[in-house]
Amino acid sequence: MKDKIITRRDFFRVTAGAAMAATVESGILGEVRAEPTAKVVLIRHAEVLGRQDKVQGEILQSMLDEAVKNLLETNQPMEAWKRFFKSSDVVGIKSNEWHRLPTPKELEAAIKRRILNAGVAEKNIGIDDRGVLNNPVFLNATALVNVRPLRTHHWSGVGTCLKNYISFVPDPWSYHDEGCSPLGKIWTYPIVKGKTRVNILSALTPQFYGRGAHFFDRRYVWSYKGLIVGTDPVAVDAVGAHLLQTKRIGFFGEDRALDVAPVHIMAADKKYHLGVSDMRRIQLIKLGWMEEVLI
Amino acid sequence: MVWILTGAVSMKGEEKGKMNQEISLPSEAGGWRWDGKEMNYDSRTLFKYIDGAAELYLAYGFQSLTVRRFEKSNQPPMMVELYEMASSEDAYGVFSFEHQDEAVGIGQGSEFGGGLLRFWKGKCFVSVYAEGEGAEVESGILTMGRGVSNSIPAAGAEPILVGFIPGKNVGLVDKSVRYLRSHVLLNQRYFIAHQNILNLNRKTEAVLAQYLQDKQKTQLLLIRYASLKEAGDAYQSFMKAYLPEAGGRDRLRTEDRKWTFARQRSEFVVIVFGAPTEADAEALLKATEKKLPRGR
Repeated sequence: MKDKIITRRDFFRVTAGAAMAATVESGILGEVRAEPTAKVVLIRHAEVLGRQDKVQGEILQSMLDEAVKNLLETNQPMEAWKRFFKSSDVVGIKSNEWHRLPTPKELEAAIKRRILNAGVAEKNIGIDDRGVLNNPVFLNATALVNVRPLRTHHWSGVGTCLKNYISFVPDPWSYHDEGCSPLGKIWTYPIVKGKTRVNILSALTPQFYGRGAHFFDRRYVWSYKGLIVGTDPVAVDAVGAHLLQTKRIGFFGEDRALDVAPVHIMAADKKYHLGVSDMRRIQLIKLGWMEEVLI
Repeated sequence: MVWILTGAVSMKGEEKGKMNQEISLPSEAGGWRWDGKEMNYDSRTLFKYIDGAAELYLAYGFQSLTVRRFEKSNQPPMMVELYEMASSEDAYGVFSFEHQDEAVGIGQGSEFGGGLLRFWKGKCFVSVYAEGEGAEVESGILTMGRGVSNSIPAAGAEPILVGFIPGKNVGLVDKSVRYLRSHVLLNQRYFIAHQNILNLNRKTEAVLAQYLQDKQKTQLLLIRYASLKEAGDAYQSFMKAYLPEAGGRDRLRTEDRKWTFARQRSEFVVIVFGAPTEADAEALLKATEKKLPRGR
């Protein structure tokens, strides 16, 4: 099976919904496992963006707190944060600095604030993206927070949490084959393996469609005013990709194809066993503002 | 007023590129003034600028990238990115790969949509955009684009291969023509196979285009190889991997109930994907063969 050539016709042979799964499971990406489930929180607030999409920090903080509280089913948000981090932790907040749609500074600050509240010393908290391989906090981290905006991406289909760890390898271009399917491998490397406590997709202003390598187009960015939060990066990404797909269908009247299908999410599930990619096995908890929630 | 590139302040930590020294980018357009700094990237450093996607440009023979930022009071900053490619055909290729918006008559081919101006001229591919929007910004982007285009002295040839595909008389879809130099890029526009079963490389050229047949989209792929032998090898490789049941014929009705045709003509390979009927596929293929150079 290792040398089997996967062609377009393989996609014709199965129904549309199962096509990618059939490809993924046919030998290039490993076997199917048991069927665990995952929980993801989607929280939205109508007022989190002000004029010109200025992020309202206090509202965002309350959204984040509410999300982690519901995710871990605690009575108070700080109980959840203290489950994530102990005071002796060294915590790297892996952000995303792409200049057209970076992680909002207010979101980085909200996360850091709660890590400090959990008792972690400020010197043991770092926020970084492309400099993580040279950042002492990340090199010595005992815990990571994975946070980035939700958007489409030229090589991986969607730019989500799994993709966000590309900065942890010195040769990112080596992970672009087969729609970035090898991205999940990065999560098995010692610098990150087992350290991620929570994954956060900023869906405040997601980008649902795009073309090409350096593409940003305001026509395809909308004020969704949400956060997608979970401990399972695959499930968080699956929800994010599903949201973008639903928006594309609504906007274009069809699921206009991305540059590549986001197959790396399924690969992270089926081959690297990092989490759950099947939406049917993801418990999506929706909180807050429900207008045009889409999913 | 123009500034010669060598007068720019190169950003710390970035290498100077090898951009054609004859190109003198504008220092001002529409009231936006250059901030005096310039970032330069070569093929080793391009990844630093582009978020994990430099392969697009590298596939088209990327030589250098020059980035300048322009400012105007009470307006968002404007960015100019000038990519120098190996040839004018490559510059056309980068442009064609993402072409979807309406032309605005800048350079040799252009489009403007969503606040992004893209055009090509000579060996250069250029994008101009602002970090904000509004009528003044859009007008400024177009003015800047014209200035940059004027600073590129020489025009260049379009890929000859593009002239070998049939036109609108047989249903060519507007803005659907892609000029490709790698199977990775081909797969991004129309997935055929994970492996490079058509043996595409920097010495091959391919054109992918959409045609409307019976209200359905059919894909035409025309490839020119460096030699007759390479074309023959690629054709056999494709038939073996994609149409193994064709039994020596050049056609097959695939699982989607549509027709795939493939033929080799000298150093060319012509493939039609997804034609609604056998006759439609035959017609498109014949129209293409008719346009190929005579005597081949």
